[in-house]
Amino acid sequence: MENLHWLFYAYGIGIGLLFAYIFRISRREQSLRRRMAGLEATVEEHWRKKAGP
Amino acid sequence: MSTPSPTESPAVPLWMGGAAALAMIVHLYLVFVWVSTESTMGIIQRIFYFHVPAAMTAFVACFVGGIASILYLATRNNKWDDLSVAANETVVLFEAINISMGSMWGRRVWGIWWTWDAKLTSAFLLFFLYVAYVSIRRATPVEVRATVCAVICILGMLDVPLIYMSNRIFRTQHPSPVIGGGRGSGLAPDMLFTLMFGMCAMLLVWGCIVRLRRRVAQLERAADDLVRRTNEMVDRGI
Repeated sequence: MENLHWLFYAYGIGIGLLFAYIFRISRREQSLRRRMAGLEATVEEHWRKKAGP
Repeated sequence: MSTPSPTESPAVPLWMGGAAALAMIVHLYLVFVWVSTESTMGIIQRIFYFHVPAAMTAFVACFVGGIASILYLATRNNKWDDLSVAANETVVLFEAINISMGSMWGRRVWGIWWTWDAKLTSAFLLFFLYVAYVSIRRATPVEVRATVCAVICILGMLDVPLIYMSNRIFRTQHPSPVIGGGRGSGLAPDMLFTLMFGMCAMLLVWGCIVRLRRRVAQLERAADDLVRRTNEMVDRGI
């Protein structure tokens, strides 16, 4: 019975590491997309002000 | 201002993500329900069906990342750099899975978490090399990092055959090879099927992760480019 617990712990760690990594890179992708959208908006705003009313 | 933004399509196609998830669920069913229990070690031997595929996937990642790294040095094409960082980072992930699960197995079967035999030491060296790769890649300027990283990748690729052959060449505490290990080695058909299925499932999951990480690398490059061009614009007072 104790071996079964160890088996579950081991698979929990294995699958947990996989999910943790996928979660981390998905978050990184989202944050990069947000950062790029923010920068693009700033540049567009800059050009709109330059162009005048 | 045009930005070379990566495609908006999903990094991992739905069919591929679905197939990887399904394969992993079927694999877990095979491991926990279907496959027969090994007579000497008992149920704890089932760690093997995740531990070995994780190691094999790390080896594949080593070679894919290493070859991509060398191709980047030769061509300076960014697509190879993206692939190399994606594949090489997954070596750390799959080696971490391999080592941690193997260590848990060792605790139950040998009574110890770790021993410095040839197999375990060379596997730890591979893990450590790729942790260094990730750290150096982040800390080194773009102009020199390709060369430094390619050297680490070549060392990593040289370590893979050493890991694979270590329990064939040296006397190790690690169990003898069960596939291609000579007379007396081998697996029961259901165990072999579960192991092979696990390798396919793990490679499919790895493929999804590499595609996702490669997209992140493309986005990082595009974001850096956008920041650089915005700063240039500000500096020139445009």
